[in-house]
Amino acid sequence: MTVLTGRAGKVAAERRPPARKRHAGERVWAVAFASPYLLHLVALAAWPLLASLFFSMTDYDLVSSPKFVGFDNFARMFNDGLFWRTLGNTAYFAVLFVPTQTVLALALAIALNQRLRGMALFRAAYFVPVVSSWVVVAYVADAVFNPQTGIANQVLDFFGLPAENWLQDPALVIPTLAAVAVWKGVGYMMVLFLAGLQAIPEERYEAAKIDGASAWNRFRYITLPGVSGTTFLVLVLTSIETLQSFEQVFVMTDGGPHGASELTVLHLYRQGFQFFQMGYASAIAWVLFVLVLALTMVQFRLQRRWVHYA
Amino acid sequence: MRVRMLAAAAVAVLTVAGTAACGGSADDSGAVTLRLGFYAAAGDPADTTMRELVKEFTAANPSIKVQLEVAPYVKFFEKLRTQIAGGQAPQVWLSDGVLVQEFAARGALADLSDRVKTVNAADYSGIELNRDAKGRVYGFPQGAQTPVLFYNKKLFADAKVAEPTADWTYDDLAAAAKKLTTDTNGDGKPDTYGFRAYSPGFTESWWPIIKAFGGDIVTDDNRKVVVDSSQSKAALDWMLGAMGKDGFAPDYAFTEGLGKGVVHTLFATGRVAMSYGIYARTLPATSAGVDFGVAPLPKGPAGRGNVAIVNSWVVNKSASAAQADAAWKWITFFSGEGPQRKWAELGEAIPINKKVAAAALSADRHAFLDSLDAATDLGVNAVWSEYTEALAKRMGEALSGASPVDTALATGQKEAQEVIDRFYAGQPQ
Repeated sequence: MTVLTGRAGKVAAERRPPARKRHAGERVWAVAFASPYLLHLVALAAWPLLASLFFSMTDYDLVSSPKFVGFDNFARMFNDGLFWRTLGNTAYFAVLFVPTQTVLALALAIALNQRLRGMALFRAAYFVPVVSSWVVVAYVADAVFNPQTGIANQVLDFFGLPAENWLQDPALVIPTLAAVAVWKGVGYMMVLFLAGLQAIPEERYEAAKIDGASAWNRFRYITLPGVSGTTFLVLVLTSIETLQSFEQVFVMTDGGPHGASELTVLHLYRQGFQFFQMGYASAIAWVLFVLVLALTMVQFRLQRRWVHYA
Repeated sequence: MRVRMLAAAAVAVLTVAGTAACGGSADDSGAVTLRLGFYAAAGDPADTTMRELVKEFTAANPSIKVQLEVAPYVKFFEKLRTQIAGGQAPQVWLSDGVLVQEFAARGALADLSDRVKTVNAADYSGIELNRDAKGRVYGFPQGAQTPVLFYNKKLFADAKVAEPTADWTYDDLAAAAKKLTTDTNGDGKPDTYGFRAYSPGFTESWWPIIKAFGGDIVTDDNRKVVVDSSQSKAALDWMLGAMGKDGFAPDYAFTEGLGKGVVHTLFATGRVAMSYGIYARTLPATSAGVDFGVAPLPKGPAGRGNVAIVNSWVVNKSASAAQADAAWKWITFFSGEGPQRKWAELGEAIPINKKVAAAALSADRHAFLDSLDAATDLGVNAVWSEYTEALAKRMGEALSGASPVDTALATGQKEAQEVIDRFYAGQPQ
């Protein structure tokens, strides 16, 4: 290594290009290497996001040029009874779906967190609906909830109870959809909980047993705090998934009977892609985005009180 | 150097994009490429027949190259809307008849009024049903659908009930339907119903029934919703009676529980002895080997309430002059006797070429032609999908018993009118 000192060093330093110039070539390479990701980010995330923000303030029918209307679409939304109804349906669906799936996924994970023969098979069985398409799930659901031929009504009949019109009854359609959604999604959340459970050191349980802790107390004071990080993740993921729910109702009920299961994203889809109101649909999308963001922020704030990262 | 390279790349990209955008226009040799869109399920006989007809067309018109774009119904229109938004829609496509005015009102379609004047309108059905409030025609008929009364001859013979005639009224229909409703296994539920009153497809359900009872859905160039009337209430009450106290029709929950599309198989599987059905319903009934007849819709206090949908070829407003000419050539080719005969063999729509229709439909199927002649349009306007959806929800509430008929009609009228007003308020008169 040569060290330049004195006048020679000064001359060399004077001759060296400034740091900005010296690193310019490296910067070009850095940008070149990052460009696939940047291109992806700009073209598929940032640009559509900004475009939809722009469209939300326009009257845009997909054919004519968008006409700027300011906040008219948002004002219309707040007076749109159907929008509020779909938001209510979505909230009701979320209230039923999120806690049920979370509790059931944890229960299943605990039940299947055993070192027994054939356990992998059970875990796989619960995971099969996760990888099935909603079209397939809809057929399975029909076999259970069809008012004429479904198993559910046969069971009710066996106990002498009257038959129900599960997906055709405005009062039952959302609970039925939530039940089917839990059946489809619980396997994935169960796998997350399994990972969380297996990360809890076995020594804690052994120590608790030696101290005479009951099974309930071991669950209450070791398992629950131990999987609180996973529970938080599951709650955040499930809440976001619920507010964006579309495919299930599109395939199973198309929002029926007479709008009782129309969720906000289905409403948005219809406005944009069936009724030529892309401006209004974009406004709904932004309101939904803000709601999802707000809910997630609240969850993140609250997690400080109950999530233990050990 | 870098700037020059970037400029060169930009020019190259623009050149490619420009070439792609110009694709389909007539070149120096006069050849033109035409993108033709239509909806059919993959492997559907309609798909095969359409491809054969395109081959015939291009053989007769070697300067026109046709690129087919086919997709199942829902996917086709989903894709089409985004194609229109991106300026990439086909130059000619088959539109559901009820959507023609939706596309036209938003400036996506070429006005075909002058071209239509060059054909003898009397030779074709449905042209008038495509005319908008200002007398313009944006679509040329491809195939027509209109509901008539389907009846199962064997079930009528077994129950010793006289077959429907052109003189039947709604009382006659109800009387026969009661006799045809049977509970063979004694479980207290009919195994065969006399009539299918409710269907999610309202063209074969509450729409013609309301009209027959003297009510209407929209008037004044289809911009004023008038469904909230005593006549509409009488029609819905008749339907509720059929599904309730009279018990000769499956109820709302039963029908909805069958799932999308399955409701149309009720007649084909013998679960109902009579049903309103459009021409396309002859296919499942024939496939199932049902011995059936068709009769005119029964008369109500105000007539039969005939309605029709005319699926139509439409031309993209952005098509070049050469493409628009080629598109019109295709439309007139398809409407000709040869192609119409071939299309009629599919049995999925009433041919719009009257000569072919008269020959293709046997005498005992002529109720379709009479119904088509007497039909009004299905209340089509620029927001048909949206306002009929608002209305259908409320009708569903009334017919399921979830809401009183009066309330459902009043709310449905209000909501549907709001949809129409919102659109037309911003339109030049």
